Amino acid sequence: MYVKLITAFSAVTVVAAVSLHGPVFAHDAPLQGQAAQGKRVFQQANCIGCHKWHGGGGGGYGGDALSLRATQLDRDQIIETVLCGRPGTGMPYFRRGIYDGGEHQCYGLGRQELGKDIPVEAGTFLRPNEVAAVTDYVLAEIKGKGEPTYAECSAFFGDNARVCNVYKTGQPASDAAQPSKQGS
Amino acid sequence: MISGRIAMRNLALACTALAGLLGAPARADDITQDRLLNADKEQGNWLLHHRTYSANRFSPLNQINRDTVKGLKVAWTMALGGVEGGGIWSHGGLEGTPIVENGMMYVTDGWGSVYKIDARNGQGKLLWRMDPKTDHDWAGAVACCGVDNRGVALWDDMVISHTLDGRLMAMKKDTGEIVWQRQVADPDKGEAVTAAPLVVKDLAITGVAGGEYGIRGWIAATDLKTQKEVWRTYTIPAKGEPGSETWKNEGTAANGGGSTWVTGSYDPTSNTLFWGVGNPGPDWDNAHRPGDNLYTDSALALDLDTGKIKWHFQHTPNDPYDYDSVSENVLVDVPVNGRQTKLALTADRNGFGYAVDRATGEFVWGTPFVKKVTWTSGLNPETGKPVEYDPSQPVQHYNAAVTPSRENKVAEMCPGNMGGKNWPPTAYNPTLRLWYIPTIESCNTITVEETKPDSFKPREFYTGGGPSQHQRITGSVTAIDVTTGKVAGKAETPFPQLGGLLATPDLVFASQPSGEVLAYDAKTLQQLWEFNTGGGVNAPPITFSVDGKQYLAILVGLGGAWDKWFIESTPELKKMQTGSMLYVFAL
Repeated sequence: MYVKLITAFSAVTVVAAVSLHGPVFAHDAPLQGQAAQGKRVFQQANCIGCHKWHGGGGGGYGGDALSLRATQLDRDQIIETVLCGRPGTGMPYFRRGIYDGGEHQCYGLGRQELGKDIPVEAGTFLRPNEVAAVTDYVLAEIKGKGEPTYAECSAFFGDNARVCNVYKTGQPASDAAQPSKQGS
Repeated sequence: MISGRIAMRNLALACTALAGLLGAPARADDITQDRLLNADKEQGNWLLHHRTYSANRFSPLNQINRDTVKGLKVAWTMALGGVEGGGIWSHGGLEGTPIVENGMMYVTDGWGSVYKIDARNGQGKLLWRMDPKTDHDWAGAVACCGVDNRGVALWDDMVISHTLDGRLMAMKKDTGEIVWQRQVADPDKGEAVTAAPLVVKDLAITGVAGGEYGIRGWIAATDLKTQKEVWRTYTIPAKGEPGSETWKNEGTAANGGGSTWVTGSYDPTSNTLFWGVGNPGPDWDNAHRPGDNLYTDSALALDLDTGKIKWHFQHTPNDPYDYDSVSENVLVDVPVNGRQTKLALTADRNGFGYAVDRATGEFVWGTPFVKKVTWTSGLNPETGKPVEYDPSQPVQHYNAAVTPSRENKVAEMCPGNMGGKNWPPTAYNPTLRLWYIPTIESCNTITVEETKPDSFKPREFYTGGGPSQHQRITGSVTAIDVTTGKVAGKAETPFPQLGGLLATPDLVFASQPSGEVLAYDAKTLQQLWEFNTGGGVNAPPITFSVDGKQYLAILVGLGGAWDKWFIESTPELKKMQTGSMLYVFAL
């Protein structure tokens, strides 16, 4: 079932996204202000909870969030993923009622076909302009980037944030690398 | 009357002057080492994290008993804070054990704020709140398993607490004013602190979290009088030290895990500290770290004054399951096979309860306390090691069919990686000699990812795979007869035991993440009482008395690892709302 869904996901994503593109998202060009709004959405919608502040995602205790830095998805595909979530994974859907039989059908699949693999509902629903904004933020600030940098971290959290210390040198903490003798 | 007041004031001044000449004397409500050693004798109080140094979590108070418990009702409640998110967390939760001294209660929220509450006169009155201004982004990004703080310790006229961002703090008991603080753990290394400090002989003992972030674990002792670190014992030996030979691949020890994130216990007769050590890292790719990986998944006995390891007992060598051994060691003196024995008990995440001789670490008995164990067919009765353990092999596979490995990359194992018992504390009834374990009846699925040379990145998960939940997980309160090592009873619960237990002469108190606080008959485990708080419970209950009246107290606010990482195994809990409340019950 999972393999089938993924195949279906790949096949229908572009079609579905293109058909959505016109009526829901009237303007395309990412704007500076929109990217800034996108960052707020990225934080408030808890994208950070799985993809981390840097978008790198990664495995751990709960699933394996995809890297938005390494993603090959284009704008329409990212929008579709945010609206619809990803079947069979932990990525939730952020558009209210998207699986309730409206005009837009995610990946060409409905609630019945998806069964238990239907994506979970996000804690926060997003309006179309918020989806566009967070997508533009991902495209402008995250997609295609390599390892996170101090400059990126400071841009996200502000200057002198301790959360960014670790990127100053790019080196792990000192005595984790070289165990010292016991005792003080 | 007026002259009387003046006389009293003059007497007070004279006493103050005398005290100044003699040096500051201990006030009646100052916490001395003698009081902590005799915490069990202060029947109305709950002075230490586990109530006593022996970590029994047993109170002799018996107004609320088998016959009266049905009349237990809410006496008062109080809303606390700390529900906000930070880092990878959308909200905080409550896992703390309240401390009570002479009617004054001290509790914490997940971000480390400390609240002093006057619990006298049948009501709760908030006296002060100390907000440590924890760096949410810095700490919350490296807290694997929730925004948690498990409580405070008392020392002298101060309250001692930790923060998630790695500080040890001292504040005035009267006002909450911060007296000093020191950075004891470093979130830059993936370290965080969730455990309550243990205060012994003017030392504050700190354990560290971060086993999923490639830390090198430690236990540290801070002299509360000088605020200097007295010792720091790493749980992963340095090169050349005993145990370092159990890390056969160069470089793996440096990020080998071995966290220490549950408050330990102490035996004053031998001046020994007992502390549990967590999983090796990366959690599920044990082929990356051939060898037994000491002292991960071990119980440690350490000299209190020096931190020197006296003995260790490892439960799951070369662990491929994430079976931490951080659980508290419960110290009991009982006859076993006709011989009086001083035991250290620990309920391991691997599903077995262990008893060892606490003087030597010698194995006494081991018993599965969960309904289903698949990773091993049992323990060697002589050594206590899993029967499949082969010390000649660098990588252990145990029951290979269910063990995550590079050859078996998707494996379903029981217990699941949250373990048969996680951090929530056990309780022990010394009269009945029954040891009660808050049990998670579970299996889950692990998907292994092979660790690469560049897999370790500071402050990022370093787990060698991850879990997923395709199975329903339930719970139980399981009792073990300590004299025989056999399971004596099991009260099953619809949801896992995520909050820990309290024992009184007649009763065992437990909770559910669906909101219920429960009381069981201590002998039969028959349920006698239930109250639904309306909020998820994942904190331990305590009891205290003041003004001659017994109370039950428990924090309510679902957080921790469960509702982010394991909720799929308990789908009904998805509806539970975030909250932060203190409930206090009385007859």
